[in-house]
Amino acid sequence: MLDLFFTAFCLAFLGAGLKRPFLFVLAYAYIDIVAPQKVSWGFLTHIPISLIAFSCALLGWMVAEDKNGIRVSPRQFVLLLLLVYCGLTTRTADFPVEAAAKWSWVWKALVFALFLPLTLRTRLRIEAMTLTMVLSVGVIVIGGGIKTLSSGGGYGELRLLVNDNTGLYEGSIISAVAMGIIPLALWLANHGTIFKPDWKAKLFAAGICFSCLLMPVGTQARTGLICAVVLAVMMLRSTKRRMLYIGVLCAGALVAVPLLPSSFTERMGTIKNHQADQSASTRVAVWKWTIEFAKTHPFGGGFDAFRQNSVSYDTVKADYAGDNNAAIETDHIEEKGRAYHSAYFEMLGEQGYPGLALWLLLHLMGVFQMEVIRRRYRNNPPEGFAWVAPLADALQQAQMCYLVGSTFVGIAFQPFCYMLVGLQCGLSAYIGRVRRAAPVPFVQRRPVPAQQQAGTAAMEIS
Amino acid sequence: MIDKITIFVPHILMALMIWKLVHRPDLDDDPALPNRRQSLLGRRAARFEADDRRPDA
Repeated sequence: MLDLFFTAFCLAFLGAGLKRPFLFVLAYAYIDIVAPQKVSWGFLTHIPISLIAFSCALLGWMVAEDKNGIRVSPRQFVLLLLLVYCGLTTRTADFPVEAAAKWSWVWKALVFALFLPLTLRTRLRIEAMTLTMVLSVGVIVIGGGIKTLSSGGGYGELRLLVNDNTGLYEGSIISAVAMGIIPLALWLANHGTIFKPDWKAKLFAAGICFSCLLMPVGTQARTGLICAVVLAVMMLRSTKRRMLYIGVLCAGALVAVPLLPSSFTERMGTIKNHQADQSASTRVAVWKWTIEFAKTHPFGGGFDAFRQNSVSYDTVKADYAGDNNAAIETDHIEEKGRAYHSAYFEMLGEQGYPGLALWLLLHLMGVFQMEVIRRRYRNNPPEGFAWVAPLADALQQAQMCYLVGSTFVGIAFQPFCYMLVGLQCGLSAYIGRVRRAAPVPFVQRRPVPAQQQAGTAAMEIS
Repeated sequence: MIDKITIFVPHILMALMIWKLVHRPDLDDDPALPNRRQSLLGRRAARFEADDRRPDA
């Protein structure tokens, strides 16, 4: 039944694309995020549905789309450089087979991010893409939120739709991504035109946001909690009633903390004392190894270069028995082939300093670009453009969640994050087209200085 | 049951979204941008309209 449902939905989505080719782009985004071929078990698992959707999107764009006024932005150029560079490092990778396997999906994410801004030609398309991303992530987080409410979840215990711990179905990744979705859902609830911003849209957005906030609790991923704090601080910047916002946050925290499962509070406590936690200690040890590795391999070791690492460290655990008595327990741990657990170190280890620089440039340009748009349209926006500054703000907040969350999760090439990049480039290109569409007169009158004007007026009077 | 809710609710909304998008003319032609399919006179009129709506106007 479920299999039939997913098959029918994908076919209907692609079928609608025959009428409006842009819908192929949305279909690809949906398939990439939800991965219906993973959720179902029949027909969809036997056909390359993602490739079909992307081919249709590309073909539809080439044949039927308006390509008037298209410009490749500097950010897309950086993306292209990153794509070429990653292709080159894959050819010389330390683990050619594993690197080729990772490259097989990385290039698709990068090419789609390059392609997406070319298709986002209208305001409605930008909104539709945002809505597709929010609803697609909603497929994962709504169930995750309900399960967290009913069972409390647990580290590695929360079973999402797919139980294979890859892509967005991995606990730490979905926790970080869920936080990035919150500002986008709030923007849709306030400025959407597909679903009018009435009480129903606001109620659904509130439900999605609540589900997203429950993801760090359910998965017990510390990354999610850190992203939530970052998001709360960033939203403080854009909220009008700051004291009310702080009051609501404090009241919410006071109500929520006693209701949180004890396993969650214990795990979050290890953020402060990483030496007692094996997972956190492994990360620090792998990061140190990566810095040393980059000294001898400045151009990186190619995808999956972490497989050659070997790290050892001591975990220190103190059991306090009161009266200043504590039993200190030290364990020596040795591990091999541990993943980076950080996008920054993933880029450094796999793509070296040039790759890390390109990746940082790509994202920092996005933060800057959104800030410029936000400031330009924040005060007294022209009629019909009141949605621009809040969207730039939401995209910036989502990206900051990603940049902070990726410190602790290896999501340097997570396709969802590149969709955010594509969306930012699309918004920026749209604003550029709107500004260029407004014609500037061929001959402009020079502004006359006030003194000269007064002099002329006096002569006329005399 | 939970999995069914998490699958059906967003998918129904996505189906609604697709239905609405198929019937929206501004999916392909943004009212704030000149339409290349318009005649020259229509384009000039749209330009004057866009001039009024210009962000820095």
